[in-house]
Amino acid sequence: MNELHLIQEIDRYLNGEMSAAERAAFESLRSTNPEIDQQVVSHQVLLQQFSAHGNRKMLMHKMDKIHAGLDVTAMKEDIQPQEAVKTPTIFSIRRKTLLNLTAAACIALFTSLTTIYFMQDASHKSTVAQFEGVKRELTNIQNSQKQLITNINDRNKKGPVNPGQFGGTCFAITRNGYMITNYHVVAGADSIYIQNTKGESFKAVSIFEDVTSDLAIIRVVDSSFKNHPLPYTLKPEKVNVGEDVFTMGFPRDEIVYGKGYISAQTGFNGDTSSYQVNIPVYPGNSGAPLMDNKGNIIGIVTGKQTASDGIAFAVKSINLKRVFDELPKDKFSRKDLKQKNTLDGLDRKDQIKKLEDFVYMVKVYNQ
Amino acid sequence: MNNLLNIEKDQELLQGLAANNDKALEIIYKENFPMVLRMILLNNGSEDDAKDIFQEAIIVLYEKVQEGDFILSSKLTTFLYSVCRRLWLKKLQGGSHLYPMNDTLEEIVPVEDTLDQHEEKDQQFIMMEQAMQHIGEPCKTILEDYYLQKKNMQEIAEKFGYTNAENAKNQKYKCLVRLKKLFFAQYK
Repeated sequence: MNELHLIQEIDRYLNGEMSAAERAAFESLRSTNPEIDQQVVSHQVLLQQFSAHGNRKMLMHKMDKIHAGLDVTAMKEDIQPQEAVKTPTIFSIRRKTLLNLTAAACIALFTSLTTIYFMQDASHKSTVAQFEGVKRELTNIQNSQKQLITNINDRNKKGPVNPGQFGGTCFAITRNGYMITNYHVVAGADSIYIQNTKGESFKAVSIFEDVTSDLAIIRVVDSSFKNHPLPYTLKPEKVNVGEDVFTMGFPRDEIVYGKGYISAQTGFNGDTSSYQVNIPVYPGNSGAPLMDNKGNIIGIVTGKQTASDGIAFAVKSINLKRVFDELPKDKFSRKDLKQKNTLDGLDRKDQIKKLEDFVYMVKVYNQ
Repeated sequence: MNNLLNIEKDQELLQGLAANNDKALEIIYKENFPMVLRMILLNNGSEDDAKDIFQEAIIVLYEKVQEGDFILSSKLTTFLYSVCRRLWLKKLQGGSHLYPMNDTLEEIVPVEDTLDQHEEKDQQFIMMEQAMQHIGEPCKTILEDYYLQKKNMQEIAEKFGYTNAENAKNQKYKCLVRLKKLFFAQYK
């Protein structure tokens, strides 16, 4: 079916111009072929945007006409007197600032004088104080030496040199080293290492696997592992078709950003637990977070349609919530994902910069 | 009693606006513009700023009532004033909340969510605007005539000198393919 023919069919389908038989045939085609389904959805989005655009243009035109009929000069004259009243308030604010400045200057003067007085008074006691200071510095040096040694030991503890047999992506769901990824990424693994964008790697173990929703929770073995507060929150509500989304994953050794939109409420073969997403994904993106514009987590990228580019699937965030409920309550802190979302309102490049620290590459080794 | 009358009047105006009734738009515009003009002039703005901000607020309102699920939780005037105030603050200092505002005595209601949604729509609008600029004639007019003016294919065929409605329709599909490409290309 060529493009022109397809768009004709979709348009007829959406306009209700098809006969019952044609309609049934088209619907069965649509349900078996996600690519067609995708086209139908994007056609709907296009037409909706088109009329919204037209309506807004028309409204703007009408408003300009109304505005041209207004006597703005007369309105402005009504306002002038008020402005005259306003001027003194500005002056009084300035005077207030001046007062504040004077007060601040007085305090500063007083503080310096007092300090000089006390310094002179305390000068003879300074020998004792200096000695204590030196002692503290010594222990500091000792500490830092110790740290150097542990650093060297740490370096030895780094993951094996060979690049791993399977790769995927995971991201933090608590501050103390719990990560979520896809079950198929870690299935049958002998050992799992995760690596951040700085190249540091940590050994991890799989602690919970849910085959049906293709999710797995892994935990960093090192119990002293600690992240900054998570910048994102989990949004369990359903997301609408057409909503812009983005993802960050590790299809190669570098973190890669991808952008797209939700194209259907169901995934592969009508799977209701996932979304269909129009976004470029490659092997290695599995387990990457799917985020909306505000930086809420709305799903996890799981796979793509073979032989068609840009059609991917993502497990809905509601399933993540269900999995979290299965985890031990004492170690797994649910609160970490409910803190304030600090990505909202940021530029995309700032969002990415913040996110980078919480998305890891998963390297899986099996004999 | 007076209050009840006001609510009823606001509802009627909103229904009118949703149905593209010119009279309703004119009443809303004329009754609320002076208040916004005043607010902006008293806060370092010009007459043109007032016009831009107020018209944007009307667009916000219009697109909300178009969606059909808008519930006015305050007086219409209060809603418009709040939207304009927020928009103007945003323009003054790029989004932070520190600027002192000389408030005229109007009440305000929270409108942050509304404006977040509006920003998304704005982006879509700009993308469609871009696509429409590049699509060229006769595509632009054919699509507008068909989808916005709701003209039938026969009229369009006559207007553009196509021999029959079927030919015009084929042209329309070609235009749709073009528009779709131009619009979605911007997502990438």
